[in-house]
Amino acid sequence: MTPARRVLRRARPLLGTLVEIGIVIDGEGSASQTEGDARGDDSGAAIDAAFAAIAAVEGRLSRFAAGSEIFRFNAAAAGERIEIGTDTRRVLAAADALHRASDGIFDITLGSGATGWHCDAGGLHKSGAAVHLDLGGIGKGHAVDCAVNALRAADAQAGWVNAGGDLRVFGATTVPIDLRDETAGGVRRFATLTDGAFATSRLCTDGHASVAAPECIWADALTKIILVSGDARHPLLERFGARAWLH
Amino acid sequence: MRVVLAGAIATAALTPASAFAVDYMNADQAARLMFPDADRFESRPVVLDADALQTLDAQGVRARSARWPVKLARRGDQTLGYVVSDEVVGKFELISYAVGIGLDGAVRQIEVLSYRESHGGEIRLPAWRRQFVGKTAASTLRVGDDIANISGATLSCTHVTEGVKRIVAVVALAKKTGLFE
Repeated sequence: MTPARRVLRRARPLLGTLVEIGIVIDGEGSASQTEGDARGDDSGAAIDAAFAAIAAVEGRLSRFAAGSEIFRFNAAAAGERIEIGTDTRRVLAAADALHRASDGIFDITLGSGATGWHCDAGGLHKSGAAVHLDLGGIGKGHAVDCAVNALRAADAQAGWVNAGGDLRVFGATTVPIDLRDETAGGVRRFATLTDGAFATSRLCTDGHASVAAPECIWADALTKIILVSGDARHPLLERFGARAWLH
Repeated sequence: MRVVLAGAIATAALTPASAFAVDYMNADQAARLMFPDADRFESRPVVLDADALQTLDAQGVRARSARWPVKLARRGDQTLGYVVSDEVVGKFELISYAVGIGLDGAVRQIEVLSYRESHGGEIRLPAWRRQFVGKTAASTLRVGDDIANISGATLSCTHVTEGVKRIVAVVALAKKTGLFE
C-alpha cells in the first residue's frame, strides 16, 4: 500500500478556460486521493502565487486584455514601437523560432504579415499596418510553465497545472490524461504523464493533435504544427524532445 | 518526461466514455478564502421582482433566476463585501463557482467549487440538469477517485464569464435598492 496523501486542488476561470492547479502535499504513489481544501496554509499560498503568475501572463499576452502588450501592438500604427518586458520577448522569440523551423506553418500573425513585426532589446516594432499578433497558439502553454515555476519557487514538491487541456506535471507524481469525446461527450483514458507537458488541439471539425513535451510552451505550440502538417513524426519534435499523436 | 499510453488509439475509441467530477471546495470555504478578515457571513438572499428583472434586462443581463443566494462578509458592524455562488451548465460540463465582490462592486476573486464532466448524452436531458437544483456545493459530486486531466480542444469558460457578469449586475442592483442595508 502506498501511503495516503493529500492533494490540494483549486480551479479558476483564466485564459478563457478553466485552469486547475494541484499540489501533492505528502506521501507518494499515484494521484488517487483528492481533497479540496481552502485553508490558508502554505500550499494555498503557492497556488495563489501560481494563479497570479497566470493572470500576469494573460495581462501581458492576451489580445483581448485592453492594455496588454499584444493588445497595444495590435492597436498601434505601422512604424510604432511598443515597450515589452522580458517575458513577452521570450515568447515572441519562441514563436519566431517555430515559424522559421516549421516553414511558416506556425504563424502568430495568422497570415496578416509574418514579417510585419520584430523585436529589439526592449521593444516590439510594427512595420506592417495590417499585421496583428495572436499568441493563442502558444501563450497558454507558456502561462502553464510560468505557473509551474511559481509553484516550485513556493517550494511545492510535486503537482500539476492544467489550463483547459494544456497540462504540465512536475515532481514525483503521475497523472492520468483523459481525452474528451467532443461528439458524444464523456472522457476516455489516453495515457499517464510524469514530469512533462501535454497539449491537444483541434482544427475546425474533426482531427486532433496531441503533443507531449518537457515544457508546456512547446507542447502547446507543436500541436498546431502537427495538426496543420498532418505529420505526427514531424522532424521538429525531436528538437524539443517531444512526441505527437494524431487522432 | 514519461508518457505511458493507455492503449492503441484505435481501441481507445471503442472503450466507453466515462464521466468524472472534482470537488474543489465548498461555498463556505470559498467565502473564507475570499474574505479572510470577515468574522461571519450573513445570508441575504436577493429576490428580484419584475421591475428589477426589467432593469437588468435593459442592461443586457438575463438574470436567469429571480432568487440569488448572496452572503455578506461581515466584520463587527462593517460589511466587507459579498459572496455569491452559482452554477452553469456547458455543453458537456457543469461548473459550480463562487464570486467574491468588494464594496466597490468589483470582482475580487472567482473560485471554482466543483466541476463535473458528463457522459455527454445525459446533459441534454432535463433530469440530468435537475439533479443539481438545490445542491449545495458541499454535496458530493465525486465519481470515483481518479484525478482526470482532460485534454481536448480547449474547454470554454464562456458560461462562467457570463455568470460572473450576471452576479455583478445583480449585486450592484440589490445594493442600489438598499437590500443589503
